[in-house]
Amino acid sequence: MDFPSDVKFSKDHEWIKIGPDNTGLVGVSSFAIEQLGDIVFLELPAVGKTYSSGAPFGTIESTKTVSDLYMPMTAEVVERNEAMLKNPEKLQTDAFNEGWLLKVKISKPEEQSSLLDTTAYQKYLQES
Amino acid sequence: MTPSNTPLFASHTALGGKMVDFSGWMMPIRYGSVIEEHLHVRSQTGLFDVSHMGEVRVKGKDALAFIQYATINDASKLANGAGQYSATLNEQGGIIDDLIVYRLGDQEFFICVNAANVAKDFNWLKELAKKFDVSVTNESCQWAQVAVQGPTSRQTLLDTLKDPELKKSVEQLSYTHIMEFSFEGSPGYIARTGYTGELGYEIYVAPDKVETLWNNLLKSPVGTPKPIGLAARDSLRLEACYLLYGQDMNAEVTPLEAGIAWATKLDKANFCGKDALLKQKGSIPHKLLAFVMDEPGIARSHMSVFWNDTRVGTVTSAGVLPSLGVNGGMVFVDNIEDLKVGSEIYIDIRDQKKRARIVKKPLYTAKTKD
Repeated sequence: MDFPSDVKFSKDHEWIKIGPDNTGLVGVSSFAIEQLGDIVFLELPAVGKTYSSGAPFGTIESTKTVSDLYMPMTAEVVERNEAMLKNPEKLQTDAFNEGWLLKVKISKPEEQSSLLDTTAYQKYLQES
Repeated sequence: MTPSNTPLFASHTALGGKMVDFSGWMMPIRYGSVIEEHLHVRSQTGLFDVSHMGEVRVKGKDALAFIQYATINDASKLANGAGQYSATLNEQGGIIDDLIVYRLGDQEFFICVNAANVAKDFNWLKELAKKFDVSVTNESCQWAQVAVQGPTSRQTLLDTLKDPELKKSVEQLSYTHIMEFSFEGSPGYIARTGYTGELGYEIYVAPDKVETLWNNLLKSPVGTPKPIGLAARDSLRLEACYLLYGQDMNAEVTPLEAGIAWATKLDKANFCGKDALLKQKGSIPHKLLAFVMDEPGIARSHMSVFWNDTRVGTVTSAGVLPSLGVNGGMVFVDNIEDLKVGSEIYIDIRDQKKRARIVKKPLYTAKTKD
């Protein structure tokens, strides 16, 4: 499975793309999407909410299951991807670009050292 | 316990089936998109491996009397070759299993039961049979089963049959009826039944012949046959408001509560559980209703149901209803007169109450089942 190289992954299968000024985009890896199957519903938090790293911030539902979404780094929600909320099935075709879920303001940039880079994430998937 | 494989296990994995343990059987939950599989069965032909289902044969002088005592429907109405939806009850009127009873002959019946309940059903039937002159045989290991379902399922099935006489018989087979046939030199049955709400057939053949049957059907150029997994089977049956044992009813629920009073013939002679039902008839404590969500959110089994700010029951089965384009399912609620079709209810989805509405059953009706 191909993943972009400019994002970092959590072991919960969320990704974060860190931009300038401690902004970031958060999404779910295409591996997790593929495991879930048809994505039919998304629940995302309101703008302004803050979460510590590893805290559940929303849910993603496939036809059969509900899964929690976990924040990969401590951050504040700046924007939600309304297009994905409206058509969550689009995550199945583009989990990394169009499929971002939240724009966030990262409060603890040092936490990125505990995330996996693409190579490490691929290795993690092979081992689990 | 290690789950069993059906004889089609290798076929499923070759087709990309995502295999899961379902009541002790490794079954394909989906091959690709559940929603596409669901909609395919509503428009063309879907193939289901249902070899995990159980089969019990009842034979002997008292066969009819025994079936009449053991099941809720009136089997005396069945002509040879006819079948009916029915159930077995415990003494308290609770449902042991729901099943299809086929009459094969004057003194012979064939029963199809749920995979999860085979041992329980067989032991129960054996126990009840002690008072009757019948033999009860668990034939579950002797049969594999493929369901061919969808508006073009008849054409697909007919395309794979070569014998003109057999074709004619299948073409004339009525809803819920069963016929014997010979497949690759082994005996089999074709029943016009299913669990999808569409026109369809369930075909019973010897386990060592089922791969040939499956491949013949899959390769047919008629009706674009596609393999369909358990997840779509579940959403298809839910739209048709067909019950799922263990979810929509169980041994604590009577058929009067589960909405299958139509199959419960209280006017026939004594049957196991009848006395309890007669006592309950005047004030049935619960009812099973269909609903759709009016607000975003997907209800799931076990979620609480509220009506007029009071908790009135739980969701039994629910999810996405692909043919309707909405979310919904069934709820098991207190039998309150004013809680009925049109009532506004709320489903507690992870601590948020989301508005929904009781609607008429079934949630979906096929345009034509002929």
